[in-house]
Amino acid sequence: MWFVSFVKSSIGKKIIMATTGLLLILFLAVHAFGNAAIYMGSKYFQIYADTLHGFPVLVLIFGLGLLVLFIAHISVGTLLFLESRSTRYSRYEVNKRVVENTFASRTMPFTGLFILVFTIIHVFGFNIAAPAGVPISVTVKEYLSGFFYSLFYIVSFVALAIHLNHGFWSMLQTFGVNHPRYNCLIAKLTIIVPVFFLVLFGGIPIYFMTGAGSAY
Amino acid sequence: MNTIDLTLKIWRQKDNDSLGNFETYTLRDITTDMSFLEMLDVLNENLTKEGKEPVAFDHDCREGICGMCGAVVDGVAHGPDKEVTLCQLHMRTFNTGDTLVIEPFRSRAFPIRKDLVVDRSAFDRVIQAGGYVSINTGGTIDGNAIPISSETAELSMDAAACIGCGACVASCPNGAAMLFTSAKISQLALLPQGQPERKKRAQAMVQQMDAEGFGHCTNEKECEMVCPKGISIRNIARLNREYMKGILMGE
Ligand code: HEM
Ligand code: FES
Repeated sequence: MWFVSFVKSSIGKKIIMATTGLLLILFLAVHAFGNAAIYMGSKYFQIYADTLHGFPVLVLIFGLGLLVLFIAHISVGTLLFLESRSTRYSRYEVNKRVVENTFASRTMPFTGLFILVFTIIHVFGFNIAAPAGVPISVTVKEYLSGFFYSLFYIVSFVALAIHLNHGFWSMLQTFGVNHPRYNCLIAKLTIIVPVFFLVLFGGIPIYFMTGAGSAY
Repeated sequence: MNTIDLTLKIWRQKDNDSLGNFETYTLRDITTDMSFLEMLDVLNENLTKEGKEPVAFDHDCREGICGMCGAVVDGVAHGPDKEVTLCQLHMRTFNTGDTLVIEPFRSRAFPIRKDLVVDRSAFDRVIQAGGYVSINTGGTIDGNAIPISSETAELSMDAAACIGCGACVASCPNGAAMLFTSAKISQLALLPQGQPERKKRAQAMVQQMDAEGFGHCTNEKECEMVCPKGISIRNIARLNREYMKGILMGE
């Protein structure tokens, strides 16, 4: 069957990585939009959160979809990592890379793992085990005013930015988007996209941590 | 005439079933005008005179067009010079006193035959799986009857420059053969003659590539950097498109 050979093939697995990666980026974009309401004050953020959770069925369906994407991305990524491990780390006496700046590509499985740990803690803290009866806008401020909690968030967003620095370009290449006319733009986007998320998301813990959000 | 003295650490291995190890040799007064393979010839002459087994390495044309030669020198396939094969690498690239570590092109799909000689017939089987066009017999068609733009013809020629040396596989952190396969697919996919078998070709060649034990691509760009023919990873993007079209929309 075509689907089985697609999933078994090396390129098929890459296309699954790229497709799930793209959908995860789209989720991040929507999530960043909602969270940006924090910068406008607790009132607006609470309105956003209440509106979102005014559609419990949709939140459930999209949440489950996101979980499936996440699991697919992680399991195929782990499979690929395990497959190439023996080749990667012990082939030559002298190990040298000619490409400069390989940090992001070399650390994909590790930055990915960091994001996973973050996601689990994040979902527990603000959703599953969030303090009952307290508005979410209050909980967010309380948690993120803590130095170590905030620091952990910032480090996680840096890991995400590094993951996307290679991931965004790699995704386009996997989809076959590589043309001299657009490569200059793509090279810029591999910086702009991760920095965009880093600033929007990373700004939130900094906002509370530094006291800039005291009037929030 | 400039000469240099070198220390060589070379991988010696009797055959695929034996364990290999590094042997160290010193060479004096190597002329910097020599090619890398000529330097190895000098070493082998010395070894033969001493009654020792010479170092086995592959070579044929010695002018960078056949794709037979190749070794990893100090961690880089075909050595530190850009866009050259090992036979076209010259000793002027090195300095006196250098220690060079010389290893075979390693891959799960390339068994070591002896010392630096590896068996790259996995590449041949990838080609056999679909890297051809079938032309039925009949009246010869006038070459100019099939129009093609010169830009497209050039792109096809650029891909056709691949000599199948295996440096892409040797340098890839994942041991992938994507640059090779993508060049062989691109040279045909870009030409009118390659169209009838296009969708089948990508699927068949990728399937064979995987079956041979080559790794998967994680877009590290290392292959492009060491390719002696400057094959671009734009071809890999094309291969991905060809494969997607083939498997998602092929018959
Ligand atoms: C919001 C979270 C995430 C986003 C937006 C994201 C995005 C991406 C993108 C766009 C790619 C490039 C796909 C390609 O090479 O074609 C990628 C690759 C990868 N991701 Fe993620 N990812 C996320 C989370 C994770 C997690 C949690 C893990 C693992 C625990 C992970 C592991 C990997 C690995 C190992 C690769 C490299 C695969 C390869 O190059 O072969 N990612 N990611
Ligand atoms: S010997 Fe022919 S390419 Fe080097």
